[in-house]
Amino acid sequence: MKYFRSWSLALPATLAVLLLLVIPVASTIATTFGESAGPFAPYIAFFKSGFRRTVLWRTIEVALITTAISLVIGFITAYVIARMPGRLKSIAIIAAVFPLLTGVVVRSFAWLIILGKNGILNDFLIWIGAIAEPLSMLYTEFAVIIAMVYLFVPLMILTLVGVLEGIPNDVVEASISLGASPAATFRQVVFPLAMPGLIVGAVLVFTGSFTSYATPQLLGGERQMMMGTFLYQRAMVTFDWVGASTIATIMVVVTIGIVLIMSRIARRLNPMAV
Amino acid sequence: MTMKTWMKAAVALGALALGSQAAIAQDKTFTISWWGYNGEKLNANIIEPFKKMCDCEVVFETGNNADRLNKLKIRGGKGVDVIFLTDSYSQIGIEEGLFQEIDRAKIPNVEELYELAQAPQGNYGPAYTIGRIGVVYDADKVDPPIGSWNDLWRDDLKSTISLPGITTTAGPIVVLRAAAHAGVDPYTQTDEAFVAIEEIKPNVVKNYNTGSELVNLISTGEATVAVAQDFTMASMTAAVPSMTWATLSDGDIATLNTINIPTGAENVDLALEFINFVLSKDIQQTEAEQGVDAPVNKNVELTEEQAKIWTYGKEMIDSLNRVDYDKLNAAKPDWIDRWNEIFGS
Amino acid sequence: MTYRIHPALIVFASIVFFFLLAPLVIIIGSALSDTTYLTFPPRGLTLRWFENIFEMSAFRRTAITSFQLAFAGTALSLLVGIPAAYALNRYRIELPSWLSTVYVLPILVPEIVFGFSLMKSVTVGLETPIFLTLLIGHALLVLPYSVRVVSASLASFDFSIEEAAISLGSPPLKTFFTIVLPNIRAGVIAAFILAFITSLNDVSVSLFLTGPGISTLPIQILAHMEQFFDPTIASVSVLLMLVTVAVMAIVEATLGLTFLTK
Repeated sequence: MKYFRSWSLALPATLAVLLLLVIPVASTIATTFGESAGPFAPYIAFFKSGFRRTVLWRTIEVALITTAISLVIGFITAYVIARMPGRLKSIAIIAAVFPLLTGVVVRSFAWLIILGKNGILNDFLIWIGAIAEPLSMLYTEFAVIIAMVYLFVPLMILTLVGVLEGIPNDVVEASISLGASPAATFRQVVFPLAMPGLIVGAVLVFTGSFTSYATPQLLGGERQMMMGTFLYQRAMVTFDWVGASTIATIMVVVTIGIVLIMSRIARRLNPMAV
Repeated sequence: MTMKTWMKAAVALGALALGSQAAIAQDKTFTISWWGYNGEKLNANIIEPFKKMCDCEVVFETGNNADRLNKLKIRGGKGVDVIFLTDSYSQIGIEEGLFQEIDRAKIPNVEELYELAQAPQGNYGPAYTIGRIGVVYDADKVDPPIGSWNDLWRDDLKSTISLPGITTTAGPIVVLRAAAHAGVDPYTQTDEAFVAIEEIKPNVVKNYNTGSELVNLISTGEATVAVAQDFTMASMTAAVPSMTWATLSDGDIATLNTINIPTGAENVDLALEFINFVLSKDIQQTEAEQGVDAPVNKNVELTEEQAKIWTYGKEMIDSLNRVDYDKLNAAKPDWIDRWNEIFGS
Repeated sequence: MTYRIHPALIVFASIVFFFLLAPLVIIIGSALSDTTYLTFPPRGLTLRWFENIFEMSAFRRTAITSFQLAFAGTALSLLVGIPAAYALNRYRIELPSWLSTVYVLPILVPEIVFGFSLMKSVTVGLETPIFLTLLIGHALLVLPYSVRVVSASLASFDFSIEEAAISLGSPPLKTFFTIVLPNIRAGVIAAFILAFITSLNDVSVSLFLTGPGISTLPIQILAHMEQFFDPTIASVSVLLMLVTVAVMAIVEATLGLTFLTK
């Protein structure tokens, strides 16, 4: 009876995911193995092409750099926020949440205005005399990375503020009262305890930037093609569905692989986890 | 707010949201698939008068050629009544069997068109505007002026050229010209054609994929030479007055924009009426005067000033090169890969 | 804990906040500029770009579609998500442990892959109407929020209260609405807001699913940007930010903003 009731409640959502997500995605993956040229032909073609390898490598590189920068910026900022007095803390959190709730198109668009050749950053750099001629910053890897960092720092901050606030006060106080310097306390107490949160944040940012579409589309263009924009080009411009499915499969494998590896590491690093 | 009022508000909002969806669906709707530029002008010149004629609601699908054509293919030719495409893409649509043949007796205005616009791709849709792909350059900075496609390979043009991306309408034309430069056939001697493209690469500063990207590159001075479609001229000269359309000894390339009726169109009669309307002298005249589209109706008369930005008049139209899109489209997937290898990494 | 922080860290955090907020200020400034191109600081002030949005029916129409989708998609996801979350918590022993992973799959699978696959299987395979396919995509996209957030608040709910009510003769369904639902109110509202915003801002799933007459606002903005680089986009962005402000006001009024760090 309980068994029946539990399943009948869980069934609609479960069926929806299985029928409308798992099966379609599985069929996308399956089409890449049904080629007459041999089961791995699309992958051999993918990795044989210098251009495609460049796209994959560029995407991994951008995602890694974005993750690293977001981790550092997010962690320090979250650390400061977590130690702010109540009122100030709420304001800081509002300031971090607001960009997060603003859409990806809007936030990427802002950097289009900032980084343009006649954009505000070039104007500023010329004004302070750092450069004489405007730099071309749009449609470069730099533009994509800075916009992605902008996209993901708020997410990192919010993830980490929660984690840092969860560190029990008396643990930190105990460390200090035992004579550890604030720096040592940070290194030996706060940082290790925040590790699981850092890993969660890193996974979110890495997968988010690895699979993004709008930001590389707007700020990278065709010159800085990434896996998301490449998938779209293959599927909708050249109508090569097998090629697009191959890209899709590689994206799924990388994403799920990273999630599995990192969650295993997180479990190992955190003996306190239940 | 209590749970109950919260839910009430939610239900009311939802009803409101879904209600307006239903209201749209009630009337007879005519669906147009086009790019979505010049929205306001096209709306005033074509859509509003046409709505009165047909007593129907008009809805749109907007997007670039490839996107809309592929979505039409996905829907099995259903969902839109007319589709505006450049000729390279309408050729794909024809080959995929997505369009119906058109009975020209039902669009009498076709008689008034230049011959090449009447039936550019067999019995399928007519062209409603004509354009050119050619070379533009900044006459203040490029000396001597550009007089031939071969000039793009000149040594003094290092890091000055912007080429159209291979997936745009004008992109594959670059491959054709590169083959001509190398003196080979682009379809059978593709390797040699792409060697010529490698040779042009040092002259290329950046490629563009959209009209606005090109205008951006030109207005910032990053590029002073470009292979472009003529409709981008107006905005380029607005930004850089010395931008000049090159007179090429080996000729510009014609591009035709066509209107087709997909096989799954629900309102075929309306679609024919619409096409006839778009081709009429009055509409073509207004569109040309307002800088929207070049006319293909022979009865349209423009002043020299108005005609300046357009491919206009029999003499100019006769001088253009046509492209064999049958062959080109078949070769394109391979070209895209080769192009990406050169420019994408 | 409010012991002292190194001043350098405070400076660093201030720079980060500047980095987070300045671009949004720049958008607002550009939206007001009386020029046909985007520039900051604005030259001359005008509201005409805002008027321009209302004149362009494409923006109006796609905005309506986006709100309808966000609303209906979120409602659908809650409709199937709340029972699932309830079952996961109430019948922890009866249900297999992998089930909770199933509900996060829409986040785990890259959105763009999901959109592409949905297009191939549902739009092409089943020939479903465009709005319905978009609705399916959005409802699934936000399902993880519905299940996870509601689940989190159910985790601290004491089911013995519900059992007590039922054993006293209250019908199970009524008990759910009178006892359980009021206790997880905050979770439901939070799930609704997160899901709504996610759907409203979605690009990658909608990208493949829009069609004639039906597109979403973010997709329309992207298409417009392909051709134009004028302040219209900035003013649309400002309006979207106002929606965000409204959402934050609702969060603040119902849950308090610190909720979002939990």
